[in-house]
Order: sequence, then C-alpha cells, then structure tokens
Amino acid sequence: MAHNKGLLIGISIFLLVILVSFPLLNNQHYMLLSFIIMLASFLPFMIRFSRRKILTRELVVLAILAAIAAVSRVPFSSLPSVQPTTFVIIVAAVTLGPQSGFVIGTLAAMVSNLFLGQGPWTPWQMYAWGMIGLMAGLLGKTWLMQSKLGRCIYGFVVGFLFGWIMNFWFIVGVMQEINWQAILLYYSGSFYFDLAHALSNVFFLFLFSKSWMNIIQRFKVKYGLFPTSDTEAQYSFKKFL
Amino acid sequence: MVRGFKSFHPIVLLVYYIFLIAGLMLYQHPVFLFVAGCFVTLINLLLDGGKQIKKWGLMIFIMCIFSIILTPLFNQRGNQILFYVFNNQVMLEGIIQGVMIAFTLFGIIAIFITFNMVITPEKFLFLFSKWFPQWALLIMLSMRFVPLLRRRLKEIQEVQQLKGVSVKNGNIKQRAKNGMLIIQILLTWSLEESIQTGDSMTARGYGFGKRSKYQPFYMRKRDLVALGYIVCTGLTVLFGWWLGDGVLTLLPILEPVWLQGREWFYLAVWLLFIGFPIWTEGKERLKWRYFRRTT
Repeated sequence: MAHNKGLLIGISIFLLVILVSFPLLNNQHYMLLSFIIMLASFLPFMIRFSRRKILTRELVVLAILAAIAAVSRVPFSSLPSVQPTTFVIIVAAVTLGPQSGFVIGTLAAMVSNLFLGQGPWTPWQMYAWGMIGLMAGLLGKTWLMQSKLGRCIYGFVVGFLFGWIMNFWFIVGVMQEINWQAILLYYSGSFYFDLAHALSNVFFLFLFSKSWMNIIQRFKVKYGLFPTSDTEAQYSFKKFL
Repeated sequence: MVRGFKSFHPIVLLVYYIFLIAGLMLYQHPVFLFVAGCFVTLINLLLDGGKQIKKWGLMIFIMCIFSIILTPLFNQRGNQILFYVFNNQVMLEGIIQGVMIAFTLFGIIAIFITFNMVITPEKFLFLFSKWFPQWALLIMLSMRFVPLLRRRLKEIQEVQQLKGVSVKNGNIKQRAKNGMLIIQILLTWSLEESIQTGDSMTARGYGFGKRSKYQPFYMRKRDLVALGYIVCTGLTVLFGWWLGDGVLTLLPILEPVWLQGREWFYLAVWLLFIGFPIWTEGKERLKWRYFRRTT
C-alpha cells in the first residue's frame, strides 16, 4: 500500500515540477509545452477513473459532492474571495480516498465553469482542484490529515498553491517574455487574494472539518460506499502494472 | 433549426478552436495579431451583435493597458532605446512585445466568448461522452444537481433565517460560520437524497449496455467538407509558423514590422482560416437580406 501511494505521490510531484520548470527552461513555446505536460499528467487519472466500474450510488454521491463544492460559493457571494469549494474538496477527499478526491475536484471545476463560462483557465482549474483532492486523499491516513492542525496547514499551503497555479497560465500564456521581476510583480499583485483564500480555508477547516468528515464517514459506513478503496486501488494498480 | 456556424458537427467546431488558439499563441507578429483581433471581433458581432463582448470590455481594456505599459518596463532586452522612465530604458522592442501581448490577450478572451456561444453545454457533453463516457455522465449528473441544490439552499436559508442564522448580518467571522452551517445542512440532506437517485437509476437499468444520446449529432457531407477545409488551412498556418513567417524576430536584430514576400501568403491563409465562421454566418445573413428584399 505504501509503495503504491509513494509512487503516485512521486509521479504527481515529478510532473508538477516538470510543468513549472520546463517552460522556464525552454525559451520559446512555453504555453503549448506546459499545456501538453499538464494534460499528460492529468489524463492518466481521468482515463483510470473512466475505466473503473463503480456503483451507481457511488457515482451519484461523487456528483452531488462536486455539485455541493460548486454551489457552496453561492451563500458566500456577499463575502469577497471567501468560498469553501477547496474545503469541500479536501474534506471529501480525506474521507473517500484519493481517486474520489481527484474526481470531485476536477468535476467541481468543470461544472462551475459550465455555469460561469469556459475560458483558458478551465483546464488549469481542473488540474489545481483535482490535484488538491488527490493529494488530500493520498495523505488521508497520515498525521497531516488526521489532526486538525495538519489539515489547517494543508489548507493554508494549498490556498496559495491554487492561486499560483492559476497565475501560471497567465504567465506562460500571455506574458511571453519570462523574467523574475515580472513574475514577482504579478504574483505579489495576487497575494492578497491568495492569502484570503488560504485563510478562509484554514478558518473552515478549523471549525468544520471534523463535523463534515464525521457526516461523510457515517454516510460511507451506513451505505457501504467505496468499500476498502485502498486495497482495491492497490489491486487495480498491480493489475495495471 | 440552428443554421450557420453553430450548426456544424461539434468535432468540426472543436478542431477549429484548437487550431485558432494555437495559431494565436504561435503567431507573435503585430500585423497577424491585429488582423486576427479584427476578425474575431467581427465573429462576435455576427454571432450575437457584440452583446457578450461588451460585458467583458472593461476587463479586456484594463488588461491590455496593463500589459502595454508594464511589458516595456520589465523587458529591457533590445537595441533601440526610445526614452527613459525613472532611469529605466524603454526599448522599442519592449513596446512591440507589449502590444503583441495585448493583442493576444484580447484575441484569446474574445475567442472564448464565442466558444461559450458556439460550443453549448450539450455539445460539450457530446464531445466528452465520445472519449470519457463515465465523466460525461458525472458532469451531466452534477449539472442537474446545481439548480436543485440552489433551490434547496434558498429553502434552508429561509428557514434558518427565522432561527437567526444568516449570512447577511453579524461580523465577517459570524457570517462565514453561518454560511458554512447552511452548507452543512445542505450536505446531510443531499447525501441522503442522492442514494435514492442512485437506486432509482439502477432500477431504470443504468449500466446495462450502451447508453443512447439525448441529442444526436451526425457527420454529414458538409461537416466533412468543413473539417477538410479547417484542417488544410490550419496545418498550412502551423507550417508557416514553423518556417518562421508569422513571427516577428525581436532579437538580436529587430525585423521590419511590415510584411514581406512569403509572409503575405501566410497572412492570406491565416485570414482564410479564421474567416471560416464569418463566411458561414455571413452567407446566412446575406441570404436573409436577399429573401426579405425579394418577397
């Protein structure tokens, strides 16, 4: 189990590093390259999920959690840059496992963009939220996700990472000339939005993560959903190899 | 009956958008980008009279100004110094770069505005279901839940308001806390309901055999012809970029901005390629005018 998890973490981190460094190294066509690499790091998970047979009940639960993550912006519309989408994704991923976390994150981005309008940011948002869910799920059994402090740290870090990934498409896509001054200026411009996102994640995770995890956990046990997802993932991974 | 550009098969439209966005990213030349910007604006006007693009107008304008002013300040590689701002030299190359970034930005946003009009959610789902059927079903389910959850949310908010739990009053901490409580109620309610939805889907035979499509799209002869046209012109555009024709060389020596020789040919192909929706939409407009005049 540990082997499988380690490998998955390794692959996703490795690909993220390539995603960030490759465009900077290569001096000409960063946008296309980074886009292709992003898709390459992202599609295997999508394909793996679409190959997997899951129960109708589980499918509907995933869909409704993603819809809740997307809709949860609505009551907060009066509070600028406070939105619990990331919180919902993290909490669901911790209780339901990495694959479900990835699916919920990706789906939430996709669905909210279908209502708000697609843009060049759609794939990046899908990537960012999908990876947040995947990582939260992979770390699910560790100290980081089982303690409240750990969750808050994760939420804080992830709040900034999300903003940085979203800035990234603008930098590689639009600012053709990449130098550190411009990047720093651009990132400092978004600093307060990222900070607000990170702090609201911490706030929600601190107050509500325990009760939300209990609700989802109880529900998972009550209906026997996503049974032994770890062993099954391991099994399918071995078969895949 | 949908006519014109929107009536083509989703795959044709998707291929057009992929080539167009790639072309805009790759052709970094002021003339090419300016002409592309004009054409994309024209497509917007033809599709909905420019209503959507006006909504985005201010944001596009600010972003363009931002990139035109800031790029020369940061990009100081070049040979032709124009003037100094706070001891920073401003290069002609930097300004040209800024203008190109602004055009690219405008072009991409304007294209995505038309993308949202042309590739409607059902076409989007059709494209998705071709390669990722399970994902398409998930997206469809989630999309169906969004309006339902919003109705439920409104109901919960009204009930909770009577108890004094509201996002409208109190300090920011209290409001955020109340908002989350409301979502938590939504969570417990919806999770229980979702099981019922899942069981009802099973009872109706979900998972037995292949699913049919709600709205079928068929490849007709005109779709194939259009696909051929788009792929041919699009590939020529990419070939032109590979030869280095649609790209303005800034370093080491600034190339003259005005086009020369073979570049005119690729400009023509580029225009033929982008102009595809203008031709298909404009034809319908002309026909409509003609028939109104004759009858």
